[in-house]
Parts: sequence; structure tokens; C-alpha cells
Amino acid sequence: MAHDHHHAPDLSAGNLTGHKLGAHSRNLGIAAVALLAVGAWLGYRSGDAGHFARAYLVAMVFGFAICLGGLFFVTVQHLTRAGWSVVVRRPAEALAQNLRWMWILFLPIAWMGWKGTLVDLYPWADLAVLASVSEAEAKLVANKAGFLNQKFFFVRAAIYLAVWAGLGAFFWGASTRQDRTGEVAITETQRKWAGPAMILFGLSTTFASFDWIMSLSPAWFSTMFGVYFFALCATCGLSVMTLVLLRLQRDGQLRGIVTPEHYQDLGKMLFAFGIVFWAYIAFSQFMLIWYGNLPEETAWYLPRQVGGWLWLSWALLFGHFVFPFVFLISRWPKRWPSTLAVGCAWMLLFGFLDVFYLVMPHIPHDLGEYATYGEFAAKHASDSTHLADPALLCMTAGVLLLVLSGTARALKGQSLLALRDPSLGESLAFQNM
Amino acid sequence: MTTIATDTKTAAAVQAPARTSCLLAEFENPAQLLHAAEVIRDKGYRYWDCHTPFPVHGLDQAMGVQRTILPVLVFFAGAAGCTTGLLLQLFTNSFGFTIWAMVWVTGYPFLISGKPALSIPAFIPVMFELTILFSALSTVGLMLLMNHLPRHHHPLFTSDRFRRASDDRFFISIEARDPRFYRSKTEADLKAAGAVAVEAVNEED
Repeated sequence: MAHDHHHAPDLSAGNLTGHKLGAHSRNLGIAAVALLAVGAWLGYRSGDAGHFARAYLVAMVFGFAICLGGLFFVTVQHLTRAGWSVVVRRPAEALAQNLRWMWILFLPIAWMGWKGTLVDLYPWADLAVLASVSEAEAKLVANKAGFLNQKFFFVRAAIYLAVWAGLGAFFWGASTRQDRTGEVAITETQRKWAGPAMILFGLSTTFASFDWIMSLSPAWFSTMFGVYFFALCATCGLSVMTLVLLRLQRDGQLRGIVTPEHYQDLGKMLFAFGIVFWAYIAFSQFMLIWYGNLPEETAWYLPRQVGGWLWLSWALLFGHFVFPFVFLISRWPKRWPSTLAVGCAWMLLFGFLDVFYLVMPHIPHDLGEYATYGEFAAKHASDSTHLADPALLCMTAGVLLLVLSGTARALKGQSLLALRDPSLGESLAFQNM
Repeated sequence: MTTIATDTKTAAAVQAPARTSCLLAEFENPAQLLHAAEVIRDKGYRYWDCHTPFPVHGLDQAMGVQRTILPVLVFFAGAAGCTTGLLLQLFTNSFGFTIWAMVWVTGYPFLISGKPALSIPAFIPVMFELTILFSALSTVGLMLLMNHLPRHHHPLFTSDRFRRASDDRFFISIEARDPRFYRSKTEADLKAAGAVAVEAVNEED
């Protein structure tokens, strides 16, 4: 490392174009479609439409979280005019460009709306059905009908998907165009629009998380939920983009270009957003609700603190925060590819478990029958998370592989780094102080 | 008496030959400095430093500076802050537990929104804040301590040449207390390392 400044990095085409990406893209794509098909078939066969829909929602949200994390990374680099990140930005751009086609993943939910079975997933979609289960909840939710109605829900979803597709296409298109033309003005344009892009990103992810995840329990609300979802996106996105970079280097690309200095900074971002910030937000949300102790607010946490869900809650506390905090706090695990890969894969796994934790539990309708938490917990002690549901796991793996396949496909035939970005030199020479 | 003593001291200072504090070598650009730093490092000097108008990447390695142990110390300071926050709240909220601190002090449990007196979730914000407070203060404090700061003056500031260290010149100073410091030999070393000028900076009284 001591003499990095003495020799120029290898910027030849062989080092910068992924020669295995075509095969990766094809194989991952085939595996993804197969897994999605098997998962969908298993889910359909289970006969529980509500469970199937939620399992699919887990997979879909996980996929969006990864690509939105990539979009966040690209936007924040332009927003801050960061120089260090030029050599690692392309994989993030490639993740974000997936948002151009990922509206397809929303089609099953749109189809449920068209078929009139959206209520299987979102209880607010049919207040009469909700009232037959819980009169009180239906009354509460009826007050939100101005926002939580099917027409507006799908209009909003179309807006989010259009905004994400537009932002993903904008950054991808501008960056790859610069590879060909070398115009400095393109960087200026990206930086200028990074501010509005960040505002759009913040609003769209916040409201998408309200609509798609929080409204699964329509009587419940948390104003922090959008930020929580953002932390989730950062966790998944940064993990995947770092793993993509590590994989590209293992395949023999970007040698001498992406160095431990860049990995250390990616590790820092994962540590900051995915581990510490996530814990900060998750705890803040929990503590406020715990302290206030209002029934309509604590109801969301109760089913997550009984039976198998209690174990998952503890697993998230230790697996998403305590263990990786200790593991990644030092300098060397972030700089050594093997340890960083373990850290990223671990955080991606817990990112998935976090989605699972957010989406799958139902608020039971017998809550009012118990005098104390202890009684409720004892009655629900045998609640299972059904984490080993093959339909859910197949569909989640399918969406993950689909995202990776799309990423590899976009990178194929492109330079693996923003070759003519004006800050490339700064990024190549980057060193942590 | 006082007057005489002062006079004597002043007279001594005037008469005694000025002691050399360090040798100051000037370089024109960061590349020269980096090269010279590697040379001086390899000569085995210990008490020396580089002075630049802006951060120069790779200078730490060129100088052979070891990584600081500050982060490790800060980690323990943070852990101490976290523990302090926890113990403070456990004690102040607990029943029937007294300690002697000049007088006998006992906990004062206070019922807040029906929560148990000892509730970890309620304690976490204070533990978190004290972790940050202890870490931040110890980072700054230990950094000053390890750099022997604050100090009001340094002999280098008497050199007119050295003023350009905050503008457009790069310097290496080797202190006279270095075991390998010999005025003539060290000056030759610095010249050989590419210094465009070398001057002796004298100790002040």
C-alpha cells in the first residue's frame, strides 16, 4: 500500500469490461425465473391467498430495497460531489437502473386490485370484510379512507414506480453517456439534479413504505416508518453493491482500481446506515411506542413479541446491530475482502429478515380479550414465524437473482467504472487519512 | 534580590551560545517531501516531523508513522460511558441501596407512566448519550494529550522561512534531542534527501 502513488492503475479494456457478465446474467436470469415459478406454484398450491400475497410482498419489497439502496448511493455521491466513490459508483448505478423494469414486480399486486382481491393483502381495501373481523378497527380505518382507498393507492404506486424508474434511468443514462462523450457537463447536470432527486427519493420511499408495508396493519401508524424503510434500503443496497464489486474483482476485473481504501469506505457506509442508523431508528420507534403505551400503537409490536416472533425480534437486535457492530467497527474487517464479504452477506440476510419481520406478522383480532401482556404472550407462545416457508424463500431468492441478473446484463458491454468522470483521478488516488 | 536574580538570568542568556532546537529543511513540492521523508525515515531518525500547507496523501507511510492507538482508547472510553449511564440510572432509580459518597446517598425511585423503576428501554437513551459524550471528549482530550498540546509556542515559529509552511513550502524538522542528531551529519542527510535549504533553529529561553 505504501507505494500506491508510484504506479498508474490498469485502465485497459480487459480490466474494465466484465468478460463473465454475459454468462452470469443468463444463468442468474434462468435460475431467477425458475425459482419465481416454483415459489409462485407452491404459494398458489398452499391455498392461503393472504399468506401467498404477503410472501410475495416480502420478495418484492426486498428487491426494491436493494435497488433503492443503489439509487440512494448514487444520488448521495452526486449530491455531495464525492470524488472518492467514482470507481465504485457504476455497480450502484447498475443496481438503480433495474428500477426501470422493476414496475413489473408490482403487477401481481395491481392484478389483485383489478380482480378485487386486494383485501387478501391489505385489510383496508374492503372495509366491509374488515368490519366482519373487527368492528372497532374498521371504524378507525374508515377515517383513513381518503388516503387508503384502492384508486389512490394504485395512482400513488404508479407515481413511485415512475419516479424510481426515471431516476434510475437518468443516472444510468447520463453516466454511460459520459463514458462515450467524456463531457464534463454531464457530471454537472447529475450534481445539479441530485438535490431534487434526493427529495423525490425521500418522499417516494417514505410513502411507498407507508402504502406497501405499514398499511398491512391499517389502524397502526408510525411517522418513523419511512426512515426505517430507508435504513432497510441502505442495508440491502450497500451490501449488494459491495458484494457485486468483490465478485467482479474475484472474476479478475477492476484489479488495482478498487482498493482496500474504497472497500473501507463502503464498509463505513454500511456500518453507519445499515447497522448504527438502523438500530437508532428501530429503537427510537420502539421506545416511543413502549413509553406512550397506547393500545393502537403497541398492537403492532405485540404479535412480534410472542412465540417465534420474539426470537426473530431478538435475532434482529443482535444480528442486525450488536454482532455486526462489533465485527465491522475495526479498520481491518472493512479492508480485507473476505471479512467484508462475510459482513455484507450477513447484513443482506438480516435485511431480508427485517423485511420478513415488517411484512409477515398479523395483528391478532383477539387482542382485546387479554388483561395483560403476559396472558397474551402465554396464549400465543406457540405462534410460529413460518420462516421456512418454501414459497416465500423461493420467491425471495428469485427476486434477488432477477435483480442480480438485470444488474449483470446492464453492466455487460459497459465499462465497470465511470471511465471519464472528471473526478476519476481523485478516486483512483483515494486514501483514507 | 529579585532584580539581581533577573539580571543574572538575562546576562547568562545573552552570553551562553544559543542551543540548537532543530534543523529545518525546506522542499518545494510534495513529491520532494515524500521522497525526503522516506530517506529520513530509513536513516533511523525518531524525533522529526513534516510540515505542509495541506494534507499530503501517503505521508504517514513515507514517514513510517505507526497507526495511533487512539481508536482503541476511545472504544474503551465509550464503553465506560455506556456503563456509567447504566449504573447511574440503576442506582438513582433503585430502592434501598445506599452508597457512601461524602454522605450516605440512596436511590430515589420515581414512577413514570407506570413503568417499572428499572426499565432498560428507558435507560438506553442516557446510556447512548453518555457513550457519545465520553467518546467525543476522550477523542479530543487524548488527541491533545498524545500530541503534547496545548503548547503556547514552539522554536520553529522564530524562523521566518517556516512561515511559508502555511502557504507554499514543505518542511522537515529534525529535533536536536534525536539520538542520531549530529549537526553536520544531519544537515548533510537533509541536503542529500533533496532539501533546497537547511537552517538551524535555536532554542528559546
